[in-house]
Amino acid sequence: MTRQKNDILQGTLALLVLRTLSVRGALHGYAITQHIQQGSADLLRVEEGSLYPALHRMEQDGWVRGKWGTTEKNRQARFYSLTAVGKRQLAHEEDSWARLTDGVARVLRFA
Amino acid sequence: MAWYHRLLNMARADRHSRDLDREMAFHLDERADALRATGMNEDDATREARRRFGNRTAQKERTHDADVFAWMESLVADVRYALRTLIASPGFALVAILSLALGIGANTAIFSLTDALVLKSLPVSHPEQLVQVTMGARGGSGFTNPLWEQIRDNAPALSSAFAYSDTRFNLSRGGEVQMTRGAWVSGDFFSTLGVRAEAGRVLQRGDDFRGCPGVAAVSDAFARRQYGDPTNAVGKVLSLNDHPFPVVGVADAGFFGIEVGQTADIYVPLCAQELLFRPGILDARSRWFLNIIGRPKPSLSTQQASAAMATVAAGIFKATLPTDWSTDNQQEYLKNTLSVVPAATGLSELRAQYGRALYILMVVVGVVLLIACANIANLLLARGAARQREISIRMAIGAGRGRLVRQLLTESVLLSLLGAALGVVFAHWATRLLVGLLTTRRQAVWLDLSVDGRVLAFTAAVAVGTAVLFGLIPAWRATRVDPQAAMKSGGRGVVGGDGHHRLGKSLVVLQVALSLALVTAAALLLGSFRKLTQVNPGFDRSGVLLVAADFTHARTGTEQQLIAERQLLDGLQAIPGARAVGSSLFTPISGSGWNDFVLVNAAKRPEKGKRQTIPWFNQVSAGYFHTMGMTLVAGRDIAPTDGPTTPLVAVVDEAIVHQYFTSVSPLGQTFRTPVGDTTSAPVTIVGVVETAKYRSLTEDSPGTIYLPFGQGDGGGTANVAYELRANGSPTTLIPAVKAAAAQLSPGITLDFTTLSDQLSASLARPRVLATLSGFFGALALLLAMIGLYGTISYDVTRRRNEIGVRIALGAVGARVVRMVIGDAGRLILLGIALGLALAFATTRFVSSFLFGLTATDPTTMVLAALALGLVAIGAALVPAWRAARVDPMDALREE
Repeated sequence: MTRQKNDILQGTLALLVLRTLSVRGALHGYAITQHIQQGSADLLRVEEGSLYPALHRMEQDGWVRGKWGTTEKNRQARFYSLTAVGKRQLAHEEDSWARLTDGVARVLRFA
Repeated sequence: MAWYHRLLNMARADRHSRDLDREMAFHLDERADALRATGMNEDDATREARRRFGNRTAQKERTHDADVFAWMESLVADVRYALRTLIASPGFALVAILSLALGIGANTAIFSLTDALVLKSLPVSHPEQLVQVTMGARGGSGFTNPLWEQIRDNAPALSSAFAYSDTRFNLSRGGEVQMTRGAWVSGDFFSTLGVRAEAGRVLQRGDDFRGCPGVAAVSDAFARRQYGDPTNAVGKVLSLNDHPFPVVGVADAGFFGIEVGQTADIYVPLCAQELLFRPGILDARSRWFLNIIGRPKPSLSTQQASAAMATVAAGIFKATLPTDWSTDNQQEYLKNTLSVVPAATGLSELRAQYGRALYILMVVVGVVLLIACANIANLLLARGAARQREISIRMAIGAGRGRLVRQLLTESVLLSLLGAALGVVFAHWATRLLVGLLTTRRQAVWLDLSVDGRVLAFTAAVAVGTAVLFGLIPAWRATRVDPQAAMKSGGRGVVGGDGHHRLGKSLVVLQVALSLALVTAAALLLGSFRKLTQVNPGFDRSGVLLVAADFTHARTGTEQQLIAERQLLDGLQAIPGARAVGSSLFTPISGSGWNDFVLVNAAKRPEKGKRQTIPWFNQVSAGYFHTMGMTLVAGRDIAPTDGPTTPLVAVVDEAIVHQYFTSVSPLGQTFRTPVGDTTSAPVTIVGVVETAKYRSLTEDSPGTIYLPFGQGDGGGTANVAYELRANGSPTTLIPAVKAAAAQLSPGITLDFTTLSDQLSASLARPRVLATLSGFFGALALLLAMIGLYGTISYDVTRRRNEIGVRIALGAVGARVVRMVIGDAGRLILLGIALGLALAFATTRFVSSFLFGLTATDPTTMVLAALALGLVAIGAALVPAWRAARVDPMDALREE
C-alpha cells in the first residue's frame, strides 16, 4: 500500500518541492520534507532519503540552486532556492497536475 | 547543473562524497532531534530517523549519479580496471599489443600511401572544381600546342585553363648533367590553380608570349636547397639547358605541383620552348605533349562542360590539321572530339602504375590483421575461461551481463588503442620505407605523406573494429556463466569447456586458410618476379655503361652534329678498359622508342583496315651489336661507311624475318615506309641479327629494324646514346668518357647509367609487389603458426588428465604424439582445403601482375600447401612432444 503511494508521490515530488520553495523561499532538505508532510496533514509520507536524488536532479536541470549555509542551531546545511527557470517549471507542473486530476475526476464521475 | 560542475564533482570525488554525507547527516540529526522532542530516547530516535530516511547508501549513490556523468565515471572505472588486469598479465598484453601494432601499423602504412597517391586532392584552391580536357570519352589527354592555343581562345565552357607538360632541365653547363624536374606551363597556370608566391611573384599571363626571353618560377623546396632562403632566390639566374633564366619568384611552400608522385622544381613558360629547342617548335602539329586543365564556368556541371567542348571540337581540329599527314590519318584526326573529366587529384604517372597494386596490398594487410585478431581472440577466450570465478562472483553480486561485456570490451579497446598508437609510429617509418622502395633512378618518388584526418579516422576505425572483432565473442562467451556452478567446482575449467574450444579450433582453421591464400598469392608474385629477372632480353646486359649524350650546345653546326657524334664514338673506342663501343638512337627498355609501318615488296600503301604489325626502328652505329652481345646470324653488320650519302640499308632481326620472309632469304630484299600519302625509297636488307627486347621485358617484340645513322629520318639528332662494354665494372669508365667528351667539346652534356640498372628499373613494380607480398605472406604464416601452436598447447594442457590416464594405462609416448598430431592434422588439413578454395577464388585479382604464371598455377599452389602443411605440423610437434612427457602421477594428482 505504502509502496503504491510512494510511486505516485515520486512523480509529483518535483511539483511539491518547487511549490514548497516558491512559498517558503530558501529551505534545506529536512525543512522541505517537514513542509510537505505537515502541509499534507501527514497524508503524504515519503521515504525521506528519496528527496535528495530528486533535489540534485532538479539542481542539474537548473530549476533550483543549492548553497551551503548555517541554520539557527548553528549547523551546516545545504539550502535550496527556486530559480527563474524553476518558477516557469512550477507553473508548467501545476498546469499538468490540474489537467491530470481534472481528467481522472471526470472519468470517475462518468463511470 | 552545468557540465563543468559535473566534471568538477568527478574530479573532486572525495570532497563531493563528504558534502553529500554532510547533507544527509544534517537531515538525520534534525529528524532525530524532532523525535527526541516528542519523547523518544536517544537510541530509538536515531534508529527511527534512519528508518524514515530509507536506504542511505542507495540514496547517496543515486544522488551522486545525478551530480556527475555516470557514463563517464563507469568508463573511467572500466579503463582503470582494464589497465590493472593488463599490467597483471604483462606477457599476454605484450604479445597482443605487438601483434596489433604490426597489423594495424601495416594497414595504416598502406592506407597512408593510398591516401597520398590516390585520394588526396591537390594542394590548390578548390581542387574539386578542376577538370582535365581529353579527346573523347576514352581519348588521350596529350595535346599539341596549336590545339592548346585554339582551346584556350575558343573554349566557352572553361572560365580559366592552363597547359602543362612535365620535363627535366639540366642545371649544369656541359659535362655531366645535373637534372632537375620541372614543367612547361602556360601563363595562367598559377592563377588558375590559385597558387600564390611566397617570395617575388609567380608566372603570369604576361610571361607567356611568342618570342619571350624566358623567366622561371621555382618551388619552395628547390629555393631552399639551392639558395637557403626563398627570398634569396628572387633575381638569381638559373642555367637551364645552357640558357639563362632569371628567377622571378618562389611558389607557396605547400605547392608541390600537379603531378602526384613527384615534385616539379622549376616552372618555365611555354613560349621559352623556342629558346631551348628550336624556333617554330610551338607550331608543330604532331607534337603531343601538353595536358590541359581548367575550371568550368560556375554554372556548368562536368557533363555540360563536356558537351560544350564537344560542340567546338570540330572547328578546333580543322584549324590545327597537320598538313603533312596521309589523307587517311587526316580524316581520323578530324573525327576527334573533346570532353572534360574531373581532375581534383591531379595527374599521376605513379598512380596509373601502382594504383591497382595498392588495392591488392590493402587486402593483403587486411588479411594479416584478421589473422592477428584471430590469435588475440583465442588468447582472450582462454583468459575468459580462466576468469570464470571472478566473473561469476560479479554476476552473483548483481552485475548485469551487458555491464560485464562492456567492461571486457573496454579491455579489448584499450589493447587495440595501445596497439594502434604503437602502430602509427611503426607506420610512419614503414611508409617512408615503402616510398624508398618505389623510387628508381629515373623516377624519384615524392609523396605528400602528412597524416591527414582521413588517415587518422581510418586508424581509429580499424582499431575499434578489430577490438570489437576479437573482443566481442570472447566477452560474450566469458559471461555465459552459471554463477553457482562456477563457484561450486572451484573453477577448474568445467564450465564452458568444450564449446569454447570448438570456437578456438575453428579460428585456427580460419587462420590456416587465410595464411595459405596469402602465401599462395605471395608465391605467385615472387615466382613471377623471378621469371621476369630470368627473361632473356636478347643481349648481354651485364657490364655495359650507357651514356646519353646531348650535342645541342656542342657548338658544332647541326650539319656537323653527325660528324661530331662519330668523332666521340672514335674517341670512346680509344679508352683502355672499353672492350667494345657502339652508339644508338635508343637504348633498350629506356621508355622511349620509334616505330613505323613497314611495306615489304610493295610500292603502294596497304588497304585500310588490314591489320598491320608495327615494327620498332632504331639507328645504330657499327659495333653496336658487338657491344650489346647480339649475334649476327646472316649477312653483314652496319658498316662505318654507311651514312647519309650511301645506299639505304638496314639490318633486321629474326622476328621480322619470321613475319615477312619465311620462305625466302631476307638478304637483298627491300622494304619501304609510308611517307605522307606516298612511300619512301626502298631500303635493302643486308643483315639479320638475333631478336632483342625493345620497349619492355614483358612484351614480345614485333621485330626491330636497325638503320645506320644518317639514314631514315631525314635529319640529324642532337641526342645520341653510347654503349661501352667494360672489362670490369662499367662505372669505372665514367671519368674517361667525360674526358673524351670534354676534349671534343665542353658543351656536350652526359647522363650515365648502366644497362643492368636500366633493365632493373623497369621491373620496379613487380619487385615491390614481390617484396611486400613475400614479407606479408611470411608474417601471416608466422602469426598463423603462433595461433596453431597456442591452440594445440592449450588443448594439451586442458587434456592433461586424460593424457595422464592414457599413459598410465599403457600408451607409449609415440602413441600420444600421434594422437595430438592427428588432432592437429585434422585442423590443418581442413584449413588447407579451405585455403586452397579461397586461393582459387581470389588469385585471379592478381593475374594482371603475373608474368609467366597463371593465377591458378598448380605447381605453386601445391608447393604452398605443402610448405604450409609442413610448417604447421612442425608447430604442433612441440606441444605433442610435451604431451608425451606428461607424468601420469602428476597429472592425476592434480585432480
